[in-house]
Amino acid sequence: MNELLLMCTIAGRRAAIPAIEVQSVIEVENITPIPGTPDFILGLTALRSQALTVIDCSLALGLDTACESADRRAAVVEIEGHLYALLVDEAHDVGEANSDPVAVPGGFGEGWQRASKGMVETDGGPTLLVDIDQLVSGPLREAA
Amino acid sequence: MDELLADFVAETREMLEQSGSELVAWEADPSDKARIDTIFRFVHTVKGNCGFFDFPRLEKLSHAAEDALAECRAGRREPDSALVTAVLAIIDRISEMTDSIEAGEDLGEGGDEDLIAALEPGAEVEVQSDLEVTAEEVAQVEKAETDNPSAKAPRQGVQRSIRLPVDLLDEVMKGVSDMVLARNDLARRLREAGEQPTIDGPFERLSAILADVRTSITRMRMQRLEHLFSSLPRLVRDLSTELGKQVMVDFEGGEVELDREMIEMVRDPLTHIIRNAIDHGIESPATRLKNDKREIGMLKFAARQSGNQISLVITDDGGGINLDKLTAKALANGLYSKSELDKMSDKQKQDLIFEPGLSTAEAVSSVSGRGVGMDVVRSNIERVGGSIEVTSKLGEGTSFHLQLPLTLSIIAALTVGSGDQRYAIPRSYVEEIVFGNSSHVDFAQAGDRRLMTFRDQRVPCLALSEILGGEAGADCKWEDKTLILVRLASDDVFALAVDRVFDHEDVVVKPIAPAIMDTRLYAGTTLLDDGRPMMLIDLPSIAQMRGMSGNVRAKAADVEKKDNADRTKAVPVMLFAGLDGRHRAVRLELVRRIDTISRDAIDIEGERAQAVIDGEIMTLAGHDVGPLPEERVRLLRLSDGEQELVYAVKEVLDAADITDDVVPSEADKAIEGVTLIGGNPIPLLDGHAVFSRYRASKKLEHTLTCRIPEGSEWARTILEPLVQAAGYRIAREDDEVEADLAIALAEEGETPASGARETIRLRPEPEDAGDDTIYRYDRDGLLAALKRIRTGRAA
Repeated sequence: MNELLLMCTIAGRRAAIPAIEVQSVIEVENITPIPGTPDFILGLTALRSQALTVIDCSLALGLDTACESADRRAAVVEIEGHLYALLVDEAHDVGEANSDPVAVPGGFGEGWQRASKGMVETDGGPTLLVDIDQLVSGPLREAA
Repeated sequence: MDELLADFVAETREMLEQSGSELVAWEADPSDKARIDTIFRFVHTVKGNCGFFDFPRLEKLSHAAEDALAECRAGRREPDSALVTAVLAIIDRISEMTDSIEAGEDLGEGGDEDLIAALEPGAEVEVQSDLEVTAEEVAQVEKAETDNPSAKAPRQGVQRSIRLPVDLLDEVMKGVSDMVLARNDLARRLREAGEQPTIDGPFERLSAILADVRTSITRMRMQRLEHLFSSLPRLVRDLSTELGKQVMVDFEGGEVELDREMIEMVRDPLTHIIRNAIDHGIESPATRLKNDKREIGMLKFAARQSGNQISLVITDDGGGINLDKLTAKALANGLYSKSELDKMSDKQKQDLIFEPGLSTAEAVSSVSGRGVGMDVVRSNIERVGGSIEVTSKLGEGTSFHLQLPLTLSIIAALTVGSGDQRYAIPRSYVEEIVFGNSSHVDFAQAGDRRLMTFRDQRVPCLALSEILGGEAGADCKWEDKTLILVRLASDDVFALAVDRVFDHEDVVVKPIAPAIMDTRLYAGTTLLDDGRPMMLIDLPSIAQMRGMSGNVRAKAADVEKKDNADRTKAVPVMLFAGLDGRHRAVRLELVRRIDTISRDAIDIEGERAQAVIDGEIMTLAGHDVGPLPEERVRLLRLSDGEQELVYAVKEVLDAADITDDVVPSEADKAIEGVTLIGGNPIPLLDGHAVFSRYRASKKLEHTLTCRIPEGSEWARTILEPLVQAAGYRIAREDDEVEADLAIALAEEGETPASGARETIRLRPEPEDAGDDTIYRYDRDGLLAALKRIRTGRAA
């Protein structure tokens, strides 16, 4: 309850990432592509002396369209010792959750369902809370 | 000093510091229970720890203090100021002894009875702690000084140590890495801005300091191998009890330091090797006795540091690897056919233990043979940039030789380009680099597999761009590529085609996210000087995916030597810079390979100069023109077909073809002559001169003699070494004996002074005069004639 969330837009939908997980929000400039990786991994970018794995949140959810973003903002998160930059359409402010995440009958649609912890009420209306652990493992991981 | 002992000293000192304030408070109020508890815990811990070591004095002291305090705690005794003083005196003495232990001094014996007596209730002797200690200290020092004036010295040299959380170290390391990147960035900007003496000087200094700091930080992360070793005796004991065997362990080189992470990485493979050794290697006591061995098996660990590599050898004196059993198993599992196995050397057969799905154990026991085999051990060790080899003798034991890089995070890499990207390849796998358009490389196709013929070997090719999913293999223009010959630890060779090879670089490798790891193409990432990330290619994994490794059939097939008749006249040479920095060339046919060894492996004494390569002593040449580099020396391994020697160079530059004439030089007899390569005059090293001058000890049993024209400068400087190199002894003027051969110069019309069985006449002009003479620079003709006569004689 009253968890702080980073509000963002992924594939045109309102989404939120727990703010406590987010180290910073950066504008991704140069991405070094990594051939042979699934397409949701855009490549690596350097933040000071750290290499961040850049994840396209939209593709990672299994959606068809890539993130469209003018300023290429990404949330920097650390998962199991690895740093990721989660590229989103837009990154807004940090806001407060007004409810616990809840499931909605009928689900949120494939992809969203797998990588979200549920829906939370925020000041801006209902928002999906993204499960970043699921997000970085990509859409195909569960099949493996 | 022993690691455990250092820990003990550090812990005791830590507790002493903490209890310092407690002691003062206790002195003010002897009946304070809480203080007594704290001090009791301290002496109790010291007493407990002493049990591990042989410090009877320390143990007795702490035990006495513990007893007295326990009485107080149990309420049987009322603490008074006399007790406080006595306990304080003991604690002071403990602190003093700790210092002595750390300095490695002998504790001496006795002298504590008065302190212990003072603890007794109602003791009449009142010990004044401070005074007493000082007096004793002074007395000790005085005594020591009269005995041995330098005895006090070690204590001043005590190395102070503190404990730090590892996270903090990593943080600092990261900070320094950031600083290096910032420095590189600044360096680039400074270069772009042009020369600025006022800034460049201080900047150079900053760079130097930063490099030093980086080295120190790296050392901070090092840990002694003892840390790893200390956990092994227990493991060995448990395993051997379980299996009903008796095993002794022996450690050597525990002081060798290794990166902390690396120690963790080798722990599992090492454990596995130990399990195997005890389970399969070392026999049961009864069998051992029957085989005239000691009942107790021996497991030996020896570590050495050589350059930036650690070698770790694990030896057991067990039954060794039974090759017959191993090959039978390989056959039964269908890994190899009978004919393939018959063709294998013993070494190759031994290496079968690294194949997946092979184990010599007949039954799966709880200890080993649980499906995790030596193949996993090997891949784990290769993953961290190391290698593993096995040698075994049936009935005598088995040794595993592990080579490990000093740090996990820094590896020597070759940076290559493919597409628009740069990638790093671990240099340890790179055997050679050749250009696809070079005249020594032929491409062939078998099915869809591209093959490359180089040095009479057929090597399968892979294109990096294709592996990474760029262009398709069929579109690949092999001739435009640079080929990297990769030799895996399994001795499999394949060629990796890349667009460009940039540079050798030491790179700091960082782990990558699991999703990228899943591609099995990359082993890590590293940052370029300009801060851009670069991927490190995982060669063993790629080789495995592409079926290039772990398969004897993939071994490079020898191609029958083609007739060289259609070869162009161009003579391939290798360009190099000698130790004096001057560029020279050497015929490529002479060069067998290029080695890099550490300076320590070279021994020069007077006329004799030798280098050790792969455990072989070789004659060293080329070292006399300039100073040897301080750390690593590049060596050209030259071969005349029978003998080999190594030639020290500063740098290997390039391969080229000589098309111009070789102009002989009279002044320098170490060279064949000077030729133009790319418009520059390059001296061509005379292989004959080198081999004759630094000839290895191996000689022909019967030396033929040859008479050469006495008066000719040319004959003496150029012909003589050549003839000698061909295995002849030069007959002197006063030699009365009939020589086997005489060489005469046609233009002088000279006839040999004394008779010889054969005569070769040399003419000065290249044109064939039709008089059975040989042109004096027709090397091949001359050598062929020399050889014909020699073999004719010997027959």
